[in-house]
Amino acid sequence: MHVPLLLSLVLAPATPSFEAPVRMKAGDEYVKVEAPGFAAPCWHDVDGDGEGDLVVGQFNDGKIRVYRGLGKGKLAPGEWLKAEGEVAQVPGVW
Amino acid sequence: MDVNGDGNLDILSGSYSRQDRDMAGLFQVLYGTKERTFRKAAVLDGSDGKPLILPAGRGQDDMIDRICTRPFACDLDGDGKLDLVVGNFRGTFGLFKGEGGGKFGPTATWLDANGQAMAVEFHGDPFLVDWDKDGDLDLLSGSAQGGAFLFENVGSKTAPKFGARITLLPAAGHAAGAARFGDAHCTAPASSTRVWAADVDGNGKLDLLVGDSITLQFAAAGVDEATARAKDAEWQKKQQALMGSYPQDGDEAAQQKWQEDYRKLNTEREAFLLEEMTGFVWLLSQK
Repeated sequence: MHVPLLLSLVLAPATPSFEAPVRMKAGDEYVKVEAPGFAAPCWHDVDGDGEGDLVVGQFNDGKIRVYRGLGKGKLAPGEWLKAEGEVAQVPGVW
Repeated sequence: MDVNGDGNLDILSGSYSRQDRDMAGLFQVLYGTKERTFRKAAVLDGSDGKPLILPAGRGQDDMIDRICTRPFACDLDGDGKLDLVVGNFRGTFGLFKGEGGGKFGPTATWLDANGQAMAVEFHGDPFLVDWDKDGDLDLLSGSAQGGAFLFENVGSKTAPKFGARITLLPAAGHAAGAARFGDAHCTAPASSTRVWAADVDGNGKLDLLVGDSITLQFAAAGVDEATARAKDAEWQKKQQALMGSYPQDGDEAAQQKWQEDYRKLNTEREAFLLEEMTGFVWLLSQK
């Protein structure tokens, strides 16, 4: 009698559960992008120091902001990603 | 990701417009150097030497199929070569097969899920990761409506096949990104979501990072909220009247005056209400 239920539980894809969403901060400030918005986050150890860094792309000028990870969930204030010494831009984002 | 396999970290991005012609997105790469710096963005060409561009959609020729969103480089079919999985405005997903050494075949095919076109509700945002830890790559995506979605790879590492869409985070809907007063209502990602999965909190489970887009309104300095709201209600009436008065008869002088009136009206609003279009990054830690 319980077998079909058990089977359905076993075969159903595991849907994960999450803690309540938290807006990420860098220092005391929320991580946010310039107008008109559209934040595109990535997580990667960009500087190779063993800590994950937050990299956020945005619509305005196709710029990218890097928030270096300080460990224990802390992020340093953001800095624009540079390319060949200038603020990097992805052309044609608009 | 290391697109060209030189051992340096590269940044891969989509773009909406090739600017000089009709709308069609190009893929842009900021190639990394061994000093961990980046070169300026360069267009990613296919193995035919021409820029990679998504094709028209299945049975239709609509620019929203060709406007790319996020390209994601990964070895989708386990052949040891990086492939490109790409989202677009329609919300479908294209695949450019890798040929090795950072080269990709010039023609994309469309991905299916559960026997039909894999899709989210506009602006697909593919991120591939072994979400269920079964050895193959699953696909995550945000959407224009918001939310986060999973297409589980029910095939294998070398023969990927995707199942039906599973909701990880319900879509907030477009209205969630519309202008609202203050930010107390910001308790979860709004619309236009972009997703990334990583173990951010270090508990051994993949968490979701979700970017969004939202418009916030605040009372201007020296103005209390009730006054700002009341003045804005009046302002909205004026704006509605102005929008309905645009001179349609081609009178350039009248159109110029209308534009000046429009500019003045917006400046008038800034005295009591400030509007900020922005996007936040949310962490959803997996339990």
